[in-house]
Formats: sequence, structure tokens, C-alpha cells
Amino acid sequence: MRIVVNLMIAGLLLVMAAQPVMAQETAAEYSHSLWIGGHYTDFKDYAKKVGEYRLVTDDPWPEFKILFNAIKGNRTFTFDGYFFDKYNAAAAVEGAVGDRFSGSVGYRSMVHNKGQDLLENLAAQEYKGGPLAPDTSTADPGDTIELGAGKYLTHDITDPGANYREKRHEINSDFSLLLSHKSNLRLVAAHRTIIEKGSEQKLSAMHCFSCHVTSETAKIDRQTHQLQAGLEGEVSKYDFGYMFGYRTFESNSPDNQIFFDTAMHPVFGTARTEFGSREIYQGEVINYGILPETEKMSHKVKFKGDLGKGRFAAAFTYSTVENKKENFAGVTLKSEAYGGSLNYAMSLSKRARLIAKIAGNRIKNDNPFVDLPNFRVDTSEDHRTDFDFVRYSSLDRKEVDASAEVVARLNRKTTLSVLAGYDYTMRYDYPELEDEYTTKKMIGQIKMKYREGMRFTLRGKYRFEKTSDPFTSGRGLFEARGREELQIPHPGFRFVFYYERENLRYQDITTVPTDRHEFELKSTLRPTSKVNVMLGFKTVYDKNGDLDSLDVKNLSFQPNLNVTLTPNEKWSMVTGYTFNYNKSRGPVTIALFDG
Amino acid sequence: MAGDTTLLQEHYGSAYTMADYTSQAHNVYLTGSFMATPKLNFTGSINYNMSKGELDPVVMPDVRAELTTDTLAHQDFTFDEMHTYSDLEYGYLQLGLGLEYKVGPRFTISASADYADMKDETGYVYGIEGGSYFMIRSGVRIDF
Repeated sequence: MRIVVNLMIAGLLLVMAAQPVMAQETAAEYSHSLWIGGHYTDFKDYAKKVGEYRLVTDDPWPEFKILFNAIKGNRTFTFDGYFFDKYNAAAAVEGAVGDRFSGSVGYRSMVHNKGQDLLENLAAQEYKGGPLAPDTSTADPGDTIELGAGKYLTHDITDPGANYREKRHEINSDFSLLLSHKSNLRLVAAHRTIIEKGSEQKLSAMHCFSCHVTSETAKIDRQTHQLQAGLEGEVSKYDFGYMFGYRTFESNSPDNQIFFDTAMHPVFGTARTEFGSREIYQGEVINYGILPETEKMSHKVKFKGDLGKGRFAAAFTYSTVENKKENFAGVTLKSEAYGGSLNYAMSLSKRARLIAKIAGNRIKNDNPFVDLPNFRVDTSEDHRTDFDFVRYSSLDRKEVDASAEVVARLNRKTTLSVLAGYDYTMRYDYPELEDEYTTKKMIGQIKMKYREGMRFTLRGKYRFEKTSDPFTSGRGLFEARGREELQIPHPGFRFVFYYERENLRYQDITTVPTDRHEFELKSTLRPTSKVNVMLGFKTVYDKNGDLDSLDVKNLSFQPNLNVTLTPNEKWSMVTGYTFNYNKSRGPVTIALFDG
Repeated sequence: MAGDTTLLQEHYGSAYTMADYTSQAHNVYLTGSFMATPKLNFTGSINYNMSKGELDPVVMPDVRAELTTDTLAHQDFTFDEMHTYSDLEYGYLQLGLGLEYKVGPRFTISASADYADMKDETGYVYGIEGGSYFMIRSGVRIDF
């Protein structure tokens, strides 16, 4: 309701601003329309997919649309509103006074129904064994385990049949006010608020001693606010601008809580102290699925103007982001980024021009210390391992992207463009501290456009990207045979502990290709004024040749046809067909491990 | 991590195989309008989408040859059903019919009917999601 009231107030202000203007002169033009109606929907079977963005009720709903336009001289005013049901509505108010002032306020809402993951694929047992016994690892006294059986994976749906639904409200506004004609000095501002309410499914996974996944309903109550304000103007022959940005995100929903299973031997339910000493949480209620509370501030300065035989546009940015929600150690996380870009365009001849671009960016993140309880392999104090660590972010990086494109008109019908580009990314402290992980990408692209009057147009494009050292996971996909390679840190123990297996991992893996080819063809044929035919085809093939024997590759193609017919003044038709094909090859891996 | 090298009977590393995932989507549509008289206009639309996704059967190498003890003998290293977890097959039909009749220079009445039917042949983590809806709408527009 507060949203509607705020919208009405903002709209009223615009109306009040416009009314005196309308009253000053008499030659105003008005046009209004009002549509009043209603709809009734009958749903059958599972309605949340077919009605994913609908109210999903069989009730009748009134509908209305309102459109109000007023023009007087150089002043305009518009109100456009639409109500479909209580979760789907939109309204916008716009006004302008010549080039002196313009502003708009808008609201729209929608609903998104979400399904419930039934977790039915999370039910497995290593092998069947002896009689059932009470399972004291969970909060439910009715749960049982099979004594002498193998380790098992179970799930709990605590909210069967839950109706997850997210309602989204968005309010936008923007204003532009000319302060001075002399330097074209203009104050600009824009605002956006997004409010999300409703419910969603939350999953929590217990550790390996129980392999237990629990689903429950979580409340959604999130707000995002974004504000931009700045000045634009001209000095001499140069355009300049400064823009300040501010964005916040917060969740007002209560923290989700879950009982974390009591640690014990996964089959026999024994050795609780020993197993418990290896867990960070166990046998207690904890908060989970906690959302950040972020605040971002940014500053952007931009310049445009003539330089030599061409024209340039440059921008410099600085921004900070902070997650203001403290972690369990009372620490907040911050990052900062600064960068710049320069574009330059110039004519090389009467038929050719050059467009050159370069941009650089530097991102720095906090390196928080993560304090964890000591890990023990038994109940004694002797065999402890300290897992405290400093989290270094792979987002700490330096980026430089550059490209040059030449666009040439070969003749009256044909235009050709050739582009060469180079992207450079250097990640700090990745995959290990003091390491520098550098990715380089070479880009080549050629585009052609052929046009024969209004009857036929053909566009073609080929793009090739060659990437060296694309980002890969710092943890390997495979495990080496530990019998030969693992050094046991705890003499006397013949078991392999899970954390020790990290030392056995190898094999780079990534979804990023080293080679990517893209080819696209689009044509438009207009044999008569009554027929328009569009035919297109796009294909992309990529592969990664740096993954040893892993033959990772992707292929996709999308042909499409669209025909528009207007045989006479009474008939009009549009028909078409699209096909989308994707094929991806990747590895499927299993661990050969008993424990 | 210093220590003695110990024979770890229970650990044999990992095994892998390559598998293809393929998805296909067809979409065909037809929309049209017919102005029967200057006051009466009909509209209609048909849209059909058929999409499938499937993973090739996952055939792991025979890992039993790698095992030197029977420690893992109780484990099943075949994955006959695993690829079916990713099966998707949807058919989605949408039909629409509508009319507008201009009663007078300022009044227009309209009516429409929409039908949508989704068939889910395989179900995914959400279960079978097949369902349908039928919606009728009507109203009057006043221009002034």
C-alpha cells in the first residue's frame, strides 16, 4: 500500500507541476481513453508452470486501462495505467516542458510462482544391512537407521506442497532540469526501487556424517534502492558530465534456522565426540542462507569532444562496495574498483572510418581472516589441525580491453567492417598466494552488409576468439590414487580424512573455451510490398584444448524463418519457425573411496 | 603435512568418462488479424513449442580392474539410470482468439479467449509440471 501512496504522491506532484502550465494557455489538446473489463481463468492440473507469472486462481478479476494525454505548446503530460489483477499492474506518469524540464515516475508489479524441488533424487544407500534402530542424529524421534547398513543419503521436506511465490514491485523515476542555456548545464537524476516479497524454498545440507538434505519455507522481504544524480554540460567544444551513484540491498526477512544434525558414526550412531570434533556445527540450531546487506557508491566523470581529425569520449570511474552485515567474527567485507575508458573515432577516407577503444579496470577486495575450530582426528588433544585461513579473492584483478575496427563502404551496396581486439585479465593471489594468473584473449571479427534497395538485405558476421589460460578452478577435478601419493599427517591412522583428499586433486577444468567460432547470416527479402521474408542462421562452436585428454566442446545452431503477409487491407498474418540446437561435451567424474 | 607414507586401502582416486548433453527446441507460430468490416476486427494466434534435453548414457570404465582389494566390492559403479535424471521433454501449446467491435465513435467492445496447455513427459526435480488454463476476457473502451 505504501508503494501505491508514494506513487500517487509522485504522480500528483507531476500533475501539479503540469496543471499551471496547462492553465496558462487555452489551445490545449487532450486525448483520453478508458478500458473497463475483466477476466476469468480456469486452471487445471499443475498450474504453476503454465501460469508461472500469473495469479493462479480461478477467481474472476476486474481489469482496467487508463490513458491520458495532454499537449499544449511545448508542454506534454501523459498518464498510462493498467490493472490486470492484484499482483500484475503498471502505471507511468511523464511530463516535459520544452527542453527545460522532463520527468517521469513509473510503477510495475508482477508475480513469479516457483516450484518445489521434491529432492527425490537425494535418496540412496550404499548397501542394505541389518535391523532398524532409532536415528538419534535428527530432531525427529520417528526417524530410523538400518544397523550394519552402508552409509546413506536422505532428505526431509518439512513443507510438503508449499506454495512458493515471489511478488515484485518496481518504482522508477527520472528527472532532467536545464539550469543554463549558455553552457547547456543540466541536472539529471534517476531512481529505482525494487521490492520483493513472498516465500521461497531453502535447502540446507548436513555434513557427511549424515548426508542429510532438508527443505523448508523461507520468507522473502528484500529491498533494492538505486539513486543516480549528476551534472552535464558543455565547456568550450567539450561535453562533460559527473554522475554519483548509490545503491543498497537489504533483506528484512527473519534469519532462516535449522537444526544441524548431531555428528556420529554414519552407520552405527557411535563415536559422537570423535565425529563432533571434526565439525564446525553439529547438534545445534544455526542460522543459514543469510543474505548480504550491501551498499555501493560510485563516481563517474566523462568527457567528449573533437580531437585531431576525429572525436573522442573518455570516462573515469571509482566505486566501493561494502557488505555491511557482519560475519560471525564481527567483520564486514569491502571492495573497491577504479578504471577508465577511451573511445576514438575518425575518418580514414571518404569511405572508411576507424573506431578505437581501450578500457582498464582494477578491482581490490578485502582479505578476511576466517577463524575455524581446530579439527581433530580423535578425542585426544594430540592430533589437531588448524584450518584458520585468510580468504583471498580471485576477483582481485587488473583488466585491460582494447579493440580497433575499420568500417569501409566498398561500393553503393556493400559495407565491410574488420575488427581486431585484445583482452587482458590478471588475477592476483590465484590459485595460490603471491601467484598471478593471467588470461589473454585475441579477437578477430569481420562483418559484411549487402543491400539492394528496399528489396533485399544480407548481413554476415564471423567472429573468432583465441584465449590463452582461461580461468580454471584452482581445485582439480580428479583425485590421484592416494595409496601411492598421500602422506599421512597423523601417524598411526590408516584412514584418509576428507580434507586430506584436497592434496590429491589434479586436472584443470573450466567451462571457458580456448577457441570460439561464431558465424551468423541474416537476410531480408521483400519481393512485393505485401510480403516480407526474414531468414537467418547462427552457429557457435567452441572447445578447450588445454585440458589434457578432456575433449570439452560445445556446438549450437539456430536457424529461423519469419514471413509477414498483408495480402489486402483486411488481412494481415505473421508466421515463422525457429529451431535451437545445443550440444555440450564434458566429463562425469566419481571418487573411488570408502569412507 | 609431514608423516609416514601409509598404505591406504580404501582410496583409489577417481574415474571419469565423457558424456554429451543435447537440447533441442522447436517453435512455430502463426498470428493474424482480419478486419471483417470497418467496425469489426478479428485476431487469432497459434504458438507451439517443443523442447527436449537429454544426457547420453554414462558409461564408466571398468574400475574393478583397478581395485587390488575387495574394500569397495559392495559399491556399485554402474550408472544405468543416472543420465535419465537430466531428461526434459516439454510441449507447450498456446491458442488465442479475439474480436473488437466499434459500437460508436467513442465506444468499442472487445472479447477474447486464450488457451494454454503444457505437457511434461518426463518431469524434473519439481515432478510432472503439466497443466493448462483457459481464460476469457471482455471489456469496453471509451475514448473521450
